[in-house]
Amino acid sequence: MPSNRIIYVILFLALAFTAVLVLYPAFYALELSFQHRESLVSEPEWVWFANYTKVLAMPEFWQALGRGVIFAGLTIFLQIVLGIAFALLLAREFPGMPVIRGLAVLPYLLPTVVVALTFRWMLDGSVGILTVAAKFFGYDYIPWGEDPVLAMLTVVIISVWIWTPFVTLTCLAGLQSIPEELYEAARIDGAGPWQRFWHVTLPQLRSVLLVVLLLRAIWMFNKFDIIWLMTQGGPQHATEQLPVFSYRLAFEMYDVGLGAAVSSISFLILSAIILLYFHFFPLEQKD
Amino acid sequence: MSKPISRTIYWLLLLCMVVYSVFPVYWMINTSFRDPQTIYSSIDFVPSPFTLENFSTLLELTDYPTWFMNSVIVASGTVVVTIILSVLIAYSVTRLQFRGKSLVIGTMLYAYMFPPLLLAIPLATLFVQIGIPDTLLSLIISHTTLALPLGVWLLWGFFKQIPTDVEEAAMVDGCSRLKAFILVVLPLTLPGIVTVAIFAFLLSWTDYVFALVMISSDINKTLPVGLDTMVGLYELRWGELMAGSTLIALPLFVMFTFLSRFFIRGLAAGAVKG
Repeated sequence: MPSNRIIYVILFLALAFTAVLVLYPAFYALELSFQHRESLVSEPEWVWFANYTKVLAMPEFWQALGRGVIFAGLTIFLQIVLGIAFALLLAREFPGMPVIRGLAVLPYLLPTVVVALTFRWMLDGSVGILTVAAKFFGYDYIPWGEDPVLAMLTVVIISVWIWTPFVTLTCLAGLQSIPEELYEAARIDGAGPWQRFWHVTLPQLRSVLLVVLLLRAIWMFNKFDIIWLMTQGGPQHATEQLPVFSYRLAFEMYDVGLGAAVSSISFLILSAIILLYFHFFPLEQKD
Repeated sequence: MSKPISRTIYWLLLLCMVVYSVFPVYWMINTSFRDPQTIYSSIDFVPSPFTLENFSTLLELTDYPTWFMNSVIVASGTVVVTIILSVLIAYSVTRLQFRGKSLVIGTMLYAYMFPPLLLAIPLATLFVQIGIPDTLLSLIISHTTLALPLGVWLLWGFFKQIPTDVEEAAMVDGCSRLKAFILVVLPLTLPGIVTVAIFAFLLSWTDYVFALVMISSDINKTLPVGLDTMVGLYELRWGELMAGSTLIALPLFVMFTFLSRFFIRGLAAGAVKG
């Protein structure tokens, strides 16, 4: 069939193009991590694992890894708790509910830059609305740019604000697919609201939550923009996790090899966690 | 707990959730319409006097209009390239029998898990070497790299659901495969294509990381990076910055109002990587 041959050619071209776009950079990153360059354009020198040993010997690397785990852990936990709570609130049906759902999704629509600027304005040291609120409670201002713990808390809270709607939407879809009979049966058995939540809702959401947890973990571990825009990893590296560390190495200290090595290690760690995760919670297992 | 009390608690919680979700957005819009003279001296919950001064300063005295055009060009380019490629790949993968099919799909999802910086660093180096660093084209390519895996993944799900009988019937009636594809398959997958388009647009329009790494000259900046550089240049003039933020968010709000069905599907599929 001649038309089939055309399809094959088109497929081949599209796949080749994709391979160049998606796979080549990944392999190239690996290659970069084995090389040393004085700048982006200078001749590469093959140093093999020297970048890796150098990175692993840096205390900053391990500190950044630890902070990344804290940042990802806190944001994921809060997003999932809030996301489930919001989904439960939004699961009822009444006129106007679609609008309320739309409003709840709003934070997720905004570009990260817009969120970062808006929160920086709200936290402005003299007339930001949150500073005014802090004054009302007897504080001069919120030292989120100076205090290491507050800085971390600030980026965590803002990240939770932006990305909770993702959990809300997926859980809402999950809630809507739970058959009403299950609740009826639990009610007949005398289960109160809490028991119904623990014994009907949560088990039914399990498969949805497993996927959400995995995706959130990947994204929060790789998060760069919100931290860079709020604190640039400061104060005194208090919010610097692996992506920020890797960016600083590659584009501020102009050592692309080291930056690529950090990115590759972080990708390896993530892959290992994902493999372990699939080992303990196989996605296909449900039913 | 009696019914009226639990109902009151429900409405209170719902109200808290809405305020929590909406307040920063409201505050951004509110600030953008305030008189720049009073922004630093008082708190106003409704702009009084209501003024467009921040917007006119922003559009007349800064590079904002250039950045806006750049963002429009890059986002449109990304949408077009992503749709063409993901339709071609997803369709071929569902309709043709060849070895390594599942590998193609698996790789696509795996690519989605790459840390953005792991792609940004080599892409930046690559663009320097092939001579297109610091161009809008380099950004279109980068954003397509990000959007394509999920585009293929989403459309693959759509094409799978369309039974091959439908096109085969058309082909028996004398259509060529191409004609059957355009007349029969494409209309059926239109919702999926719209979803991918929205998702690619969102990703490109909101991207900060790749624009930061790829673009260095002022005239080639896109909105997110451009707006962020204004923070340093204009000594934190929040009125203009909030006006700029509102204008970036505006197209998204408009799209969301009219296309929320597709939007929610795209968002739930993980659009706006992150």
